Amino acid sequence: MGGRGMVRRVVSGCAVALLMAGGAGAQQIDIKDQAGRDVKLDGPARRVVTIPMPMASGVIALDGGTGRLVGMNPLSLTAIREGILGKIFPAAAKITDSVTGTNFMPNVEALAAANPDLVIQWGGRGNDIVDPITNAGLNALLIQYGTEELTRQYMTMVATAIGRPERIGPLVEWRDRVEKEIETKTAKLPASDRPSVLYLGNALSSITASGDKGNYNAFYIDMVGARNASADLSGTVTINKEQIAQWNPDFILLNAFEPQLDVSWVYNDPILSLTKAAQNHRVYKVPLGGYRWDPPNQESPLSWMWLADLVHPELFDFDLRAEMKSAYETLYNYQLSDADIDGILWMDKQGSAAGYDRFKAK
Amino acid sequence: MTSDSTAAAETTTVRGLTRPVTIYGGLAALLLVSVLVSLCAGRFSVGPERALAILWQGVLHPGLVPSAIDERVVLLVRAPRVLLAAVAGAGLAVAGTGLQGVFRNPLVSPDILGISQGAAFGGALAITLGIWGLPLIGMVFLLGLVALVSVGFLARINGRTETVTVILAGLVVGSMFTALVSLLQFIADPESSLPAIVFWLMGSFSTATWQRVLIAAPGLLAGTALLWALRFRLNLLSLDEAEARSLGVRTERERWLVFAVVATIVGSQVAVSGIISWIGIVIPHAARLLVGHDHRVLLPSAVLLGAAFMVVIDTLARSASSAEIPLGVITALVGAPVFALLLRRHYRERKEQ
Repeated sequence: MGGRGMVRRVVSGCAVALLMAGGAGAQQIDIKDQAGRDVKLDGPARRVVTIPMPMASGVIALDGGTGRLVGMNPLSLTAIREGILGKIFPAAAKITDSVTGTNFMPNVEALAAANPDLVIQWGGRGNDIVDPITNAGLNALLIQYGTEELTRQYMTMVATAIGRPERIGPLVEWRDRVEKEIETKTAKLPASDRPSVLYLGNALSSITASGDKGNYNAFYIDMVGARNASADLSGTVTINKEQIAQWNPDFILLNAFEPQLDVSWVYNDPILSLTKAAQNHRVYKVPLGGYRWDPPNQESPLSWMWLADLVHPELFDFDLRAEMKSAYETLYNYQLSDADIDGILWMDKQGSAAGYDRFKAK
Repeated sequence: MTSDSTAAAETTTVRGLTRPVTIYGGLAALLLVSVLVSLCAGRFSVGPERALAILWQGVLHPGLVPSAIDERVVLLVRAPRVLLAAVAGAGLAVAGTGLQGVFRNPLVSPDILGISQGAAFGGALAITLGIWGLPLIGMVFLLGLVALVSVGFLARINGRTETVTVILAGLVVGSMFTALVSLLQFIADPESSLPAIVFWLMGSFSTATWQRVLIAAPGLLAGTALLWALRFRLNLLSLDEAEARSLGVRTERERWLVFAVVATIVGSQVAVSGIISWIGIVIPHAARLLVGHDHRVLLPSAVLLGAAFMVVIDTLARSASSAEIPLGVITALVGAPVFALLLRRHYRERKEQ
């Protein structure tokens, strides 16, 4: 992406309105969130709590720092501690994670102690996880998981809410540009040229995979010119190894959520090691950058480029290392070292995987 | 019940062994068929002929490491899973039968008495403390036994043990241990030990390997054999306390012996496949309907029936859809109505007496 030539663009369909209040120039901010609720802020939120996991690093990226983030999900904190973000922003590792359980149920007392003027929470998962926030008299902004469109919308809302609307334009433009660039090359691919990709959201204790509906991973698997191997499932369900053998996917993607999971889990398994993916060394653990690259987040275009380069090396030639350096400069004002990139891409564990050559430092 | 079991014992001796032998034959055939069908069924398509050929090869050359994927699916995924389901089902059924005899109460089973929950807590505690391997299994046995002993003491009021107090004590102890497992979940590291702890509460054979078969089989087989050795004692223990004593049974000591055996069986099962409910109550009753109350014929029938039933249920769980159906869902759907029926009949009979 780089600092040059970024076009600020207003996202169509985005229900964000900025209203200038009169008087001393105090800015009142009105937002209609993704649950259709009206959120009113007296000014840019200065103390933000994020309950959805990817939003903690999202707020850091949109703000360009950790100053506004005062509470997050425990699993956001582990991503920060295990990943690069803890190195870029050492202060982030000290932010409290007691405001919510990993099941998104807010801890009202801890929430009140954090004294936020904005709490970002999942919408569409029932009122039980929202009511404790509003009952405590706090401002909740609800966002929805699923599609790229929703992601761009809520990132724009959050940028607006924290008074950094100028930072979202370039990010949305980047997402749009990379998506179009990839899609022009893959849109007309016949089904026979689309290899199957299996993404495993859990692997160690039980194995889970997801169908297509409302599944962001399926969205970008399709975008890069592949097909979701587990498309016939509905929702996210537990599957067994026999089922994976039956699907016999061309690629296996392992989630970045389980720290102890790496590609050896597949190669050492008597069944999984015989799948096409394993036989052709096409098993990859999804990178963990500023956030885990599996769900939608501020770095999503990087995960698309990573997967596009791996799935269709004959169509794509993204210089991932250069793209990452440029993106991290924009997002976090940080110069990635080659060692940083090797760590994010799990070079030590999967550097010898098929197609990983092109990601090596030159 | 007292007159029942003596009557049953008499019929078998009078009529000789023809009826049980027919029933054993039928049940063994049922088990064999369900095992074979189960080995041929699954999400990975292997034709039945091919599956049986692979199996035959595996039996002929047990040391051979399979290389083709269909061979590995049959020999490394299905075979240990089917075997584990069979021994676990047999163990739970026989443990339930033993408990029902000792408590003179048809409404008890390892999960209703909280033994499974205690065992699960033992496993979860071991993981939280960073203990793996044999010491972990030891903790599983020990806590299972602790749960059973607690129920025994709680239910004994003024030297008498009533049906209702036993079930309620089991409920209390089971809930207590379930809560303790949840507490461990709460304080566990959400990413590393949590998934391992969740496993104990959700019964499943999806993690079956030959290694797990080796972990569970000794306890399950030895426990089942011991209960079989105690079959005469079980007949006596299921008599009235005074009657049993007058026949020279040291009831207290032998009851404890049975308890220890049951804890071993349930611990072995929980250690490899988590809490599996309802089998321990449904199967003994089905077996009793078939062969009567005499433990000499009841125990082997429960073993065969339990194994066959568990294999069928697990085959459904793993092959009916792309997703694994939780085992507990199927066992509860079958078990809960049976339990309700038994409960009503038990109290109706007591009223009539």
